[in-house]
Amino acid sequence: MFRIPRDVRAWLPALLLSPALSFGAPDNWIPARWTGGPLELARRDKAGDAAVREAIANWYDPATLDLLRGSPINCLLVPWSGGAAEETERRQQELVKAYADEAHRRGLAVLGLVYPGAEPARFVRAAADARLDGFVLEGTFPAGFAARIDGPVVIPQIGESPSARNLADMGIRAAPSSEPWIQSNVWLVRAARFSDPRKPVWISYRIEHAKEADYLRAIADAAVAGGRWIVDLDDGLRVKLRRGDAGALGTWRRIADCLRFAEDHSAWRGLEPYGNLGIVVGTGSEMEDEYLKLVARRQVPYRPIARAHLDAAALAGLRAVLATGLAPPTAAERKLVRAFAENGGLVVGGPEWGEIPTGEPYVERACGKGRMALYRSPDPESIAREMRELLTLKDAGLIAFNVPSVIIYASREPGGRRLLVQLLNYSDSPATDITIRMSGTFKTARLVRPGAAPVALETSAANGETDITIAKLGLWGGVVLEGETP
Amino acid sequence: MKDAKATFTRRGWLAACGAAAYAGSAASADPQTPAASAPSAPVAIAKVASYDEDLVAQFRKLFDQIGGIQSQVQGKTVAIKVNLTGGNRFEGYTAGDTHWVHPKVVGAVTAALGQLGVKRIRILESAGGRRPDYKLEDKLLQGGWDVNAIRNAAPLVEFEDTNGLGFGKQYSTFRVKTKPYIFPAFQLNHSYEDCDFFVSLGKAKNHEEMGVTMSIKNMFGVTPTALYGGRERIFHYGQVQAPAGATAELDPQSNRYEGWRLPRILVDIIGARPIDLAINDAIVSTCGGEGPWVLGAKPIHPGFLVAGRNCVNTDTVTMATMGYNPRAGRHEAPYRLYKGPGNHPKEQLTPADERFQYADNMMLLAEAVGIGSADLGRIDVRGVPIAEALFDFEAFWKNQMPKEKG
Repeated sequence: MFRIPRDVRAWLPALLLSPALSFGAPDNWIPARWTGGPLELARRDKAGDAAVREAIANWYDPATLDLLRGSPINCLLVPWSGGAAEETERRQQELVKAYADEAHRRGLAVLGLVYPGAEPARFVRAAADARLDGFVLEGTFPAGFAARIDGPVVIPQIGESPSARNLADMGIRAAPSSEPWIQSNVWLVRAARFSDPRKPVWISYRIEHAKEADYLRAIADAAVAGGRWIVDLDDGLRVKLRRGDAGALGTWRRIADCLRFAEDHSAWRGLEPYGNLGIVVGTGSEMEDEYLKLVARRQVPYRPIARAHLDAAALAGLRAVLATGLAPPTAAERKLVRAFAENGGLVVGGPEWGEIPTGEPYVERACGKGRMALYRSPDPESIAREMRELLTLKDAGLIAFNVPSVIIYASREPGGRRLLVQLLNYSDSPATDITIRMSGTFKTARLVRPGAAPVALETSAANGETDITIAKLGLWGGVVLEGETP
Repeated sequence: MKDAKATFTRRGWLAACGAAAYAGSAASADPQTPAASAPSAPVAIAKVASYDEDLVAQFRKLFDQIGGIQSQVQGKTVAIKVNLTGGNRFEGYTAGDTHWVHPKVVGAVTAALGQLGVKRIRILESAGGRRPDYKLEDKLLQGGWDVNAIRNAAPLVEFEDTNGLGFGKQYSTFRVKTKPYIFPAFQLNHSYEDCDFFVSLGKAKNHEEMGVTMSIKNMFGVTPTALYGGRERIFHYGQVQAPAGATAELDPQSNRYEGWRLPRILVDIIGARPIDLAINDAIVSTCGGEGPWVLGAKPIHPGFLVAGRNCVNTDTVTMATMGYNPRAGRHEAPYRLYKGPGNHPKEQLTPADERFQYADNMMLLAEAVGIGSADLGRIDVRGVPIAEALFDFEAFWKNQMPKEKG
């Protein structure tokens, strides 16, 4: 019943086998929330700015499709149904149908946004008639709602607007060793891709009063670990774009350039996470996400390990394991993880892993050739901070210096010797004088950034370590390291 | 750090500062009597607008102005205790700009000493990392320092994290040579002993608990936490006594309030490990607190350097150049404080001996035991006059400056 693009047809067998009803979008769809029409107006405050309402009401003028010429965006998310008045939804769908026809002629996919209150029996048939390419569910729906939709459904990950803020600016008296509070979705993308590497990850959120840098950061923040931010333009920018404002069009071009950079480096998505620290996930612990988020915020590279697949092979090559989620471990898990420590590894765990002296919050003790670092009441914030103290360079694989507002994500070619270290700056001020110290000797390092030619970075190697210095990083860069010698 | 009232005396001080005879006025305005016997040595001030200026030339000039140091350092080992702290930063600033001593200042001092024929320079600080392969250089890299540039600024430059034994095999015991207030001796990293000439290279800035921090306060970081444990419990608050291997305090029943205790401990430290050359960096700094983690703290651009052979004299002149009365008491800025209740033990918020939070003036305490004079009238100030270099920290913090200098 739906117009199915070629890529989706190729995907269908996998989808049919998928236990999840949610439908992964084709990998080459680059989405933008492209809202307009009477349904969007009905969802908003009627007392809103007149210019904004005018822009939204007329957004499905085919002229807005001209904005997409030369842009990598090829998938538009348009309001389709949301429990509004029947006449409003009818007019919306009629308008979108005509717009979708034109979008399809231009090679663009169109997905209908479905909001709580929508009724599948009503909106699915109309969508087939409009030849929509699928649906995107946005909001909280009753259990089993997606299963009632006869057609491809995308459920994006709900993210948060990326930023870095000093705690003092948030009215929090911090410790001298505190660092800015970074809001990032890198860990979220990683977690989603870890749970199902085949499924593209879309991150959804709106940035209020966005500056140009906010859009670029949002794109990079999702792309670093292989996801995509659903591009969502601020009302003010949309009004200006419709007016042909030169500044707004410049911002729009740079958004496109940043998206293009991400797509030009789509091969980065195929790289495997790099890191000598394994974090056991799939434990059912409520704190699991916090560990993934906060260890990343402390710039410690890690690889998630699914508890269900925790075996000697999963631990091979690691130098440390964060096992706080195994609380308590099974007998087999205890034996396996203890053997890892006895063979020279570091195990970080809670009181389930050994006795902690009375009155002490923490104990670190030798275990065979390795160590056990045990915390009486492990919490993600302090454990994440502790990782920097516990892991030597060899244990961590890399250490980044002078990056308080930067998230690092390291990955490498499966079985290869090429390593990629991506850096994303969450501050509006450039990050300067960054040093990346790698365990291992690399011959060359190259910095790749949006809007700039790649530059060779000087490497300084000694004693099995390689230092690379980056003088200035505006937003996003990838350091490609090659020529590792054993 | 907040001055709740009592600005009258400070204003009086500033007015006096504007007059040619400011020094004598300040001394006579203060109820405390200067100790006539405390030593005095020349102190030099330089106005420096930015860290991009030729700082090596500036320091050569400052060293000449204070009488020259070549005879003291040529062919010798010089240790430099640099002033680092937490790595957080103000938006748009590096840690070295605002709350660490700036790396270009360290590089320039190193280069200037190298030009004077120093045999070896050791850069020292308690960096404090527990990581087994942690080095002081790692802490410097965390601040974005060009460590190699400093290493190459003089013929032989070494770095040592003095938070523990470092490269030594045992701690060196330093007896307090002046009359001790609280501790009669300290156990420190060997490099504080294995040097012929010792430099305290501080940042001149406000401090939440001490009011101000300069070259004397910088010395707090010489105490090795690997031996003493957390500095707050043992030194600030006196909640625990010295561990085995460290000298105990004289009177465990003495006042536990940090505003009373810590200034005295700092004077004991400089009585134990005397400073041969004190330098204060205030080219860029922070007011309202010692770093961006203190609520209300903000970056400032005072634009000056101060150097002197006597640390008490040097901090006295620096404090005057910061717009404070260097003989200020507990009732005056910057020593009348407001400390956040969220990060201090309850008993530290209500001193037993006062109705308000305070810190005692460590220069006056040092003067009282004969380390150096805190009386501007007795200090030979060279280079740029105080009144010309003056940057009023308090007024800037309170938004009372018409516009920022520089």
